[in-house]
Amino acid sequence: MTLQNSEQYDAVIIGAGIGGLVCGCYLAKAGMKVLIAEQHYKPGGYCTSFTRKGFTFDAAAHSFGGYRKDGIVRKIFEDLEIDKKIKIKRFDPIDIIKTPDYKVIFWADLDKTIDGLQKSFPDERDNIRKFLFFLSRPDPNSLIRTRSCTFKHLLDEYFKNDKLKAILSFPLFGNGGLPPSQMSAFIGSKIFTETLLDGGYYSGSGMQALPDAFVEKFKEFGGEIRLSCLAKKIRVEDNKVKGVVVEKNDFISSKCVVSSCDARQTFLTLIGRNKISYDMVSKINNMTPSLSMFVLYLGMDEYFKKLFKHGINLWFLSDYDLDKVYNSAKRGNFNSLSRYLIHISHDRKSVLAYMNTPYKNNKYWNVNKRHISEAFIEKIEKEAIPGISDHIVYQDSATPPTLNRYTLNYKGAAYGWAPIPKQLADLDFKKPSFIRGLYLAGHWSTLGLGIPGVSYIAYNIANLIMKKYKS
Amino acid sequence: MQGDIEKEIVFIIAEISGFEEEEITPDKNFFDDLEIDSIKAIEITVAIEKKFKISVRDEDVPNITTVRQAVDMVQGLLAAKQ
Repeated sequence: MTLQNSEQYDAVIIGAGIGGLVCGCYLAKAGMKVLIAEQHYKPGGYCTSFTRKGFTFDAAAHSFGGYRKDGIVRKIFEDLEIDKKIKIKRFDPIDIIKTPDYKVIFWADLDKTIDGLQKSFPDERDNIRKFLFFLSRPDPNSLIRTRSCTFKHLLDEYFKNDKLKAILSFPLFGNGGLPPSQMSAFIGSKIFTETLLDGGYYSGSGMQALPDAFVEKFKEFGGEIRLSCLAKKIRVEDNKVKGVVVEKNDFISSKCVVSSCDARQTFLTLIGRNKISYDMVSKINNMTPSLSMFVLYLGMDEYFKKLFKHGINLWFLSDYDLDKVYNSAKRGNFNSLSRYLIHISHDRKSVLAYMNTPYKNNKYWNVNKRHISEAFIEKIEKEAIPGISDHIVYQDSATPPTLNRYTLNYKGAAYGWAPIPKQLADLDFKKPSFIRGLYLAGHWSTLGLGIPGVSYIAYNIANLIMKKYKS
Repeated sequence: MQGDIEKEIVFIIAEISGFEEEEITPDKNFFDDLEIDSIKAIEITVAIEKKFKISVRDEDVPNITTVRQAVDMVQGLLAAKQ
């Protein structure tokens, strides 16, 4: 039996990731009666932190972008006064990419970045400037072209040097899980602009400060959040949402539902196959989710702190053939370990390192987790930080099943649907016309990923709902 | 036929912009009246391409600023397809 809760909400949001929180804050601020239901005991989704043995680790997201003047995250922080709750600083340099032949640095100052790239690749001098200018100030007419082609097409229009193309694509691989030959040029450009050119921002005490500040604001606006509250069903009648059933069969009536969680689960489990068309079910089954990741968390001793002046993202790529690198990652080949990111925390007390991997299964990771961690540390020691293992005082890791357990993203997908051109801007995953009152926010909405990407989508969804609400 | 095409396009614009279908009249300007930014322009283009199974030419996009122009363009592409 489902308990009927007579109170009706204007909106129920499933998932307190950045998408759900941004959307919830705008709706509550507009005076709507909003409830956010989150299955985890803390808000944030992939943007959380956890503490072990005195070390605070960011679980996945370790910095954010889109905070320039006019940036979407800046706009949202100002609109909601999040910037008054947390202190934001910026890593500078933002990212360093190391390959066997090059060290490319992305600085907060674009001219400095361009200058460095030009020195490394003098033959591509003008192209580097043109390309980075296009990405930092894309005109709408050029941007429209990016909807149907891959990031490789875009790179080929500007550059001849394959090593440079691989270097410029590698952070997109790490932030979107695809090589340039498969990644949507639109999503690739956005990742490049928002996380490389305008990335490296950090909230003083850890990434958890972001969702915590949103929750605080959300409550101040009169919103209600339930943590450890798993949504079990989205009730749909006559192609219209009626509300959400949560744990203990508690039915929450609502005029609209924003699902800011896994899209497969939203349609196939929460709504149910019997409420959607056969075509939609088969479409979902034919869609490609993004890769997951294996994350290593290392707590470091006092000596380690002296090795670095500040927090930084270090990317290591030992093979310029990103298609090969991708296929090896997709197969879960850990022997070559040709690609990974090391993030030195802002306080230099900890290290987060990750590489993209397939889901495999629980059993696989139970058997292999330990030796993959060891091989990973060995690789870092050899290529990136000599002697690192002498300074590790705490060690932990997250596998794709861990990511799935904490966020319920399908197979621990790190970036929603794989950002390939044919999975771009699909309205069925943002505002499906066959179920009135249903919206999807988050990285499964096929329009963006990462904190800036989901922030834009959530802001956009909130505006759609507010327009409806007012009328 | 023109009516049906227009109706479908207006529906797509309404879904993406959040404006009511009645508000989306032929003379409405995407950017000035309907708050379409560059990302929404991509969403609308992709949705139209999928709905009508056509490929919009990149070079045509800058010339389309009103709902009427979008309808005319789609009609032209559909006629060319036949």
